[in-house]
Amino acid sequence: MAEVRRKSGKPLQVNPHKLSQPMGATLAFLGVDRCMPLMHGAQGCASFAKVMFTRHFCEPIALQTTAVNDVIAVLDGGDYSISESVKNIGDKVAPELIGVHTTGLTETKGDDLRGVASKIDVPLVYVNTPDFKGGLESGWTLTTQALIDQLTEPCDRIDAQKIVLVPHVSLQPIEVEKLRDFIEAFGFKVVAVPDLSSSLDNHLGEKQASLSSGGVTVDALKQLADAAFVVTVGASVKPVGATLQKKNPAIRHHHLDHVSGLQGTDALVAWLLEASGREAPPPVVERWRKRLQDAMLDSHFSIGQTRFLLVAEPDHLAAMAASLREVGGKVALAIATVDSPILGDIEADQVIVGDLEDAENISAAYDLIIGNYHTESLAHRAEKRAVMRGFPNYEEIGNALKHDVLYEGGAYFLFEIANAAERMREAQVHHEREQIKLGRAVSLSG
Amino acid sequence: MSSKPKIKDLLVESACEHNKGKKSSCNAPTPGATTGGCALDGAQIALFPFADAAHLVHGPMSCIGGAWETRLTPTSWSGRDLTQTGFATDINNNDVVFGGEKKLAAAIDHIAASYAPEAVFVYSTCVPALTGDDIDAVCKHRSEKHGIPCVPVHVPGFVGAKNLGSRIAGEAVLQHLIGTKEPEETTPFDINLIGEHNNTGELWRYRHLLEELGIRVLSTFSGDGRIAEIRTAHRAKLNVIVCAKSLVSMTRKMQEQYGIPWISCSFYGKTDTSNGILAIAEALGDADLIARARALIAREEARLDEKLIPYREIFAGKKAVLNTGGNKAWSIASALQDLGIEVVATSVRKSTEADKAKAREYLGENAILMTNPATEQAKVIDDTGAQLLLAGGRSLYTAIKKRIAFTDVNQEKKKSYGGYDGLLVLAEDLINSLQNPVFELVDRKAPWQK
Ligand code: SF4
Repeated sequence: MAEVRRKSGKPLQVNPHKLSQPMGATLAFLGVDRCMPLMHGAQGCASFAKVMFTRHFCEPIALQTTAVNDVIAVLDGGDYSISESVKNIGDKVAPELIGVHTTGLTETKGDDLRGVASKIDVPLVYVNTPDFKGGLESGWTLTTQALIDQLTEPCDRIDAQKIVLVPHVSLQPIEVEKLRDFIEAFGFKVVAVPDLSSSLDNHLGEKQASLSSGGVTVDALKQLADAAFVVTVGASVKPVGATLQKKNPAIRHHHLDHVSGLQGTDALVAWLLEASGREAPPPVVERWRKRLQDAMLDSHFSIGQTRFLLVAEPDHLAAMAASLREVGGKVALAIATVDSPILGDIEADQVIVGDLEDAENISAAYDLIIGNYHTESLAHRAEKRAVMRGFPNYEEIGNALKHDVLYEGGAYFLFEIANAAERMREAQVHHEREQIKLGRAVSLSG
Repeated sequence: MSSKPKIKDLLVESACEHNKGKKSSCNAPTPGATTGGCALDGAQIALFPFADAAHLVHGPMSCIGGAWETRLTPTSWSGRDLTQTGFATDINNNDVVFGGEKKLAAAIDHIAASYAPEAVFVYSTCVPALTGDDIDAVCKHRSEKHGIPCVPVHVPGFVGAKNLGSRIAGEAVLQHLIGTKEPEETTPFDINLIGEHNNTGELWRYRHLLEELGIRVLSTFSGDGRIAEIRTAHRAKLNVIVCAKSLVSMTRKMQEQYGIPWISCSFYGKTDTSNGILAIAEALGDADLIARARALIAREEARLDEKLIPYREIFAGKKAVLNTGGNKAWSIASALQDLGIEVVATSVRKSTEADKAKAREYLGENAILMTNPATEQAKVIDDTGAQLLLAGGRSLYTAIKKRIAFTDVNQEKKKSYGGYDGLLVLAEDLINSLQNPVFELVDRKAPWQK
């Protein structure tokens, strides 16, 4: 396995790709229907998050801020700004849920969120997400846990058909939908928590960003605890299994680090067959497996000669590296935003927690880059090519519908990467030929 | 002395029109009903265009994560473009408990060693401001150590919104950079462009015209700007504020300290660009210069009018509704009128009294000034029979419902509509919108709908 460097060792981030914990929390709350995420801090954090997600998803984003200012920062323990916010939000819209999440400022102040929440008389979930700790993944997971912890009613019944699916934060809306449909094809009913598949999936609707629309409903969240299984996908959300089990110890927890590539999807199918008691998967699943097998063979030559730089959240890294490794892709360097237990399992020459300056410093080690929007300019400077994945992607549209997982998405992913690798090599060959021509011209004239 | 500006002084800015009526209300965001960025955001917008300076955000990732490399402010600086390079101390738990000064100092060392910037701007944010990191001391010490200005910019978001942040940025530059260097030579026609960020290259649409007249842009704050130039800005003969009220305090202080007069212009559309060029020439007060400016304006307008003929035919009789904020409410309106489009309504939701008056003056008696465009614009489209809606992305749905063409005018626009030639770009985009069938089509009934 790879050499893993879990700490940056630098006093700063240069060209960072890490995103903050409150941003992860915002996104999780956007996966709840008719929710108003309320970021507790000064106004800027919410504004940056809103702009980023608006641009990434090309969708209006519901998000409010408690707008703590210098006077309040000193005097208030959160009571005033949160209750005022709830009141002011209520004047305009009628959310089913308000999702209060903190920032570094209000955590440093030491606001007592639980105390404040207990005094407020509207449906509200709160979560502590200081941005000087964790990152996007932990913000998402803490919020998912808070939703279950504070909303889900304890239960002692089990609905044998019901599965609660907990996706990691980097799964795009369409991937969550595909995953849900996939599991339902084995006869289950699936509730995804959080569920971006119906809220941020680029559908046309009358959206003024007043509230999130689509996503798991508050009622469904209340009634999660009769599920037969909780399936967590991604190491970052693994702890959510236990959170739900607290509401009903009879719930069984199945964990998958990812559902990418042939083996990753096989593992899910094997478990689904066992859990459903079926002998064979639905025909369409079989068909897609064959297509993926073919895609692997078609792409192995190109990907097998390519050295990759992967830049992403830890769970996303693990998933992409698994897909690429299956067809011989060499992951030269994987750069994670934050530390995670999964980093040790990634098959790569080097896995580090770091920034894009780290990547730039060893650019001789890789050819093709897969990462967020910021890797585009890195690719430009280092004369590489980049394929856009992860948050944020301002460069391209259609992010919500990018599908890389399961047999089906796995095939699309391999095609896209192989094609990009080929175009990159063609450009290199072209460049070399131009150089040779120039060289000849020079030698003739000389 | 601390370089922390006196926030109250900046808020009660005498030269700022819009503070006449209300004293400090811009400092009181409403909890749960606030949009827009914080002071840090405003300071970044104001200073990031200095591509030869490093911009170090002393704070956690919320303060920079979604913000770096998002603004299209191109530069002609031949070194590494530090506008598009993100630096953040990414403070962690440890820094909160034990203070982040050491880390900050080490971060500056790293930047000085690896990127050799002309200056380092250090942006203070909410958490270190609360824990009390002495950023001034770190900056002072590092300035001496590295021999480059390290400029503290105190913009924790809790002090206020974007506008305040850009004012604080102006203060910081005034206090730490302007007047710290002498220009190699001066001319009678040296000016500073203040508040021109060169977004999408707007500055480059008119700078050459000024230069043709012999007007030298001594420095810009901060589009395509250079630290070495802004340090000499105190020798300019005139400050020109480009579309940025928030920087009035900066120019007023430069008038007090250095006796530099200032004027305010916009270079958006034909009329404004001509007015702007003439105003600069007149303010510099040289009869010959004014005459040459008049001639140049006549030449440019004739050239543009010629090119606009085919567009004017297409736009004849077209009506537009404009929903955008602040001074854009009239500056874009003026550009549309240059194209022969009738602007039947504009938004004055966030406009100052002066902007409202100007909108009225530009649009005429019958135009509708919308105070709540989100709810009004659909009806206004019905009532006026407008064929075009220019607004931010959020209003797209209104256009689709009304089946009229839509053009996005928000800040992240990728093209420059500035100067004379920008009008041609705008015209192309508008034609593309008007001729695009998508707005009619996309909301058509599905086969199963009755
Ligand atoms: S409000 Fe404060 S913490 Fe938030 S982005 Fe602005 S400066 Fe940073």
